Amino acid sequence: MLLDQFRDILVDTLKIDRSTITPEATREDIELDSLAVVELSLLLKAEFDLDVSDDELLEAATVADMVALLEKRSATV
Amino acid sequence: MSRPTAAVLAGLGAYLPPDVVTNEDLSRRLDTSDKWIRTRTGIASRHVVSPGTATSDLAVEAGWRALKSAGQDRADAVVLATTTPDQPCPATAPQVAARLGLGQVPAFDVAAVCSGFLYGLATASGLIAAGIAQRVLLVAADAFTTIIDPADRTTAVIFADGAGAVVLRAGDPDEPGALGPQLLGSDGELSELIQVPGGGSRQRSSGRPADPADQYFTMAGRDTYRHAVEQMTATSTQAVRAAGWNLDQVDRFAAHQANARILDSVADRLGIAEERRLSNIEHVGNTGAASIPVLLCQAAAEGTLRPGHRVLLTAFGGGLAWGATTLVWPEVAAG
Repeated sequence: MLLDQFRDILVDTLKIDRSTITPEATREDIELDSLAVVELSLLLKAEFDLDVSDDELLEAATVADMVALLEKRSATV
Repeated sequence: MSRPTAAVLAGLGAYLPPDVVTNEDLSRRLDTSDKWIRTRTGIASRHVVSPGTATSDLAVEAGWRALKSAGQDRADAVVLATTTPDQPCPATAPQVAARLGLGQVPAFDVAAVCSGFLYGLATASGLIAAGIAQRVLLVAADAFTTIIDPADRTTAVIFADGAGAVVLRAGDPDEPGALGPQLLGSDGELSELIQVPGGGSRQRSSGRPADPADQYFTMAGRDTYRHAVEQMTATSTQAVRAAGWNLDQVDRFAAHQANARILDSVADRLGIAEERRLSNIEHVGNTGAASIPVLLCQAAAEGTLRPGHRVLLTAFGGGLAWGATTLVWPEVAAG
């Protein structure tokens, strides 16, 4: 999954401020709290059939790490 | 052949205790802020019981208002949905019935935490369908703050107190106010997600005194959120289908007011636009079992819920337990 696509999900569905979403931004930087991470996990499953748990997303330090995780996961399905 | 008997909504009432706790009040004693609470829960203020007030006190007020709304001073049975009974034994419902002057009618409690109102509707429908009662007073009341750890900023900001009540009468399945198919479910394998660990037979039979921390309500936020969204979405979809409706025919979505973000997420998934969602969480918070009837009562009084509206009700909570049902809103005075 490309950064742009991931950014669209964060902005359109989770109402994250687009200007804050850079590859090196952390969860705190983009104000993605723990419930939003659960929501993101549910969205990735519903919209893209990607199995990524909230725990895995919480372990990703930055936006780039999350995208890398999603790319790895989509490559294996 | 006689027609099947349906439970029909004939009256409703709600009562919120007068004391109000604002986010600013909570910020003074907890490490939190108005912005933090609003962003994560959608709540700005909530009503709480004053010292010495019990669930039955709230229930009697709401029950009286519902009977008045139905134009009745009698009911053949009283069902009380609550997680916070006045005491562990006996049930609180008989006292509510007695204080309402209803005499020696059958009265008992139903325990299904935040889904208590929907489980209570099913119970009341059963009493009516079995011919045990022609008219049932269902009260859903919780003094939920009495089981909340005042120092726990994750739950203290969410939960609140209140009571809602409905009168259900025997009627025709096709008339306005008749409850549609009722879907209920539970998953006891996940009971630990939402619980008060101590105070019951498990702890008492251990011979050890209750750990003070175990007397309070705990909730695993992330897992609860995920299951709440998934179960309320699925069970709502099933209830609407069972009623013979489509989701786009739902005029009003009345979900247990758990957390604004859960509600938005469920409604988004169901494709229910914002103007069709009823909400009072901002000034009422999460009142447990009372949540849905209080919401319906306020919305009917404000005119956002009107006769003829197709209404979808859904709830999720500890147990885990969840449910959903439908009705066409009848001509009824909100008490």
